Amino acid sequence: MVFLRSEEHLERWLRRNRWEPGASMNATTLNELARRWWWTRVEPDWRPRTPAESQAILDELGLTGEFWRLT
Amino acid sequence: MDEHELGIRNEVYASFVRDGRAPTAAETAAALGLGVDEVVDACRRLHDGHALVLRPGTTEIRMLNPFSAVETPHRVEARGRSWFANCAWDALGIPAALHADAVVSSECPDCGEPLELEVRDGELVDGADLLVHFVVPARRWWDDIAFT
Repeated sequence: MVFLRSEEHLERWLRRNRWEPGASMNATTLNELARRWWWTRVEPDWRPRTPAESQAILDELGLTGEFWRLT
Repeated sequence: MDEHELGIRNEVYASFVRDGRAPTAAETAAALGLGVDEVVDACRRLHDGHALVLRPGTTEIRMLNPFSAVETPHRVEARGRSWFANCAWDALGIPAALHADAVVSSECPDCGEPLELEVRDGELVDGADLLVHFVVPARRWWDDIAFT
């Protein structure tokens, strides 16, 4: 996952690497995803999430569809 | 992932946050009063459970997501020190995991232009106009986590 300056830069980067487009979001949405995903990661009582719990975080941010299916 | 493995995992994370580098298996074993082989075996199981990532073919830690144990293009300054993150998502994951303000320095992979983001009180106050792209679908993230 990378930060890019704009759609123009994204398209050129994908073309140069001959990669199919994946999924894009703005950095604000990624920050919210990061907060929900990583918030407890260094806490002593951290426990691994179930796939359903992780999927729920993606769903809550509207990250739905085949690309975002974890299993 | 049992309580014993989670205890080792927690010590590894605490050590990384405290010292800014990944501990060796010997250091973790000494900290917990365990045998080195016991720690190595647990780390392999934690790797298999995606709770940390070992460098291929070794017992060295490569990733303690969202932290990277090796240098990357994504640098995060928080709590008066700097860290490397594995990707854009992890770069914003470090302030989230530390519950701290942070400045993220990265670069556009197309043009190499330096990019900067700032998180304050959990909000992205600089860099909000940047675009983020995921190349790999979620189901395949762990096929090659270093590429992802």
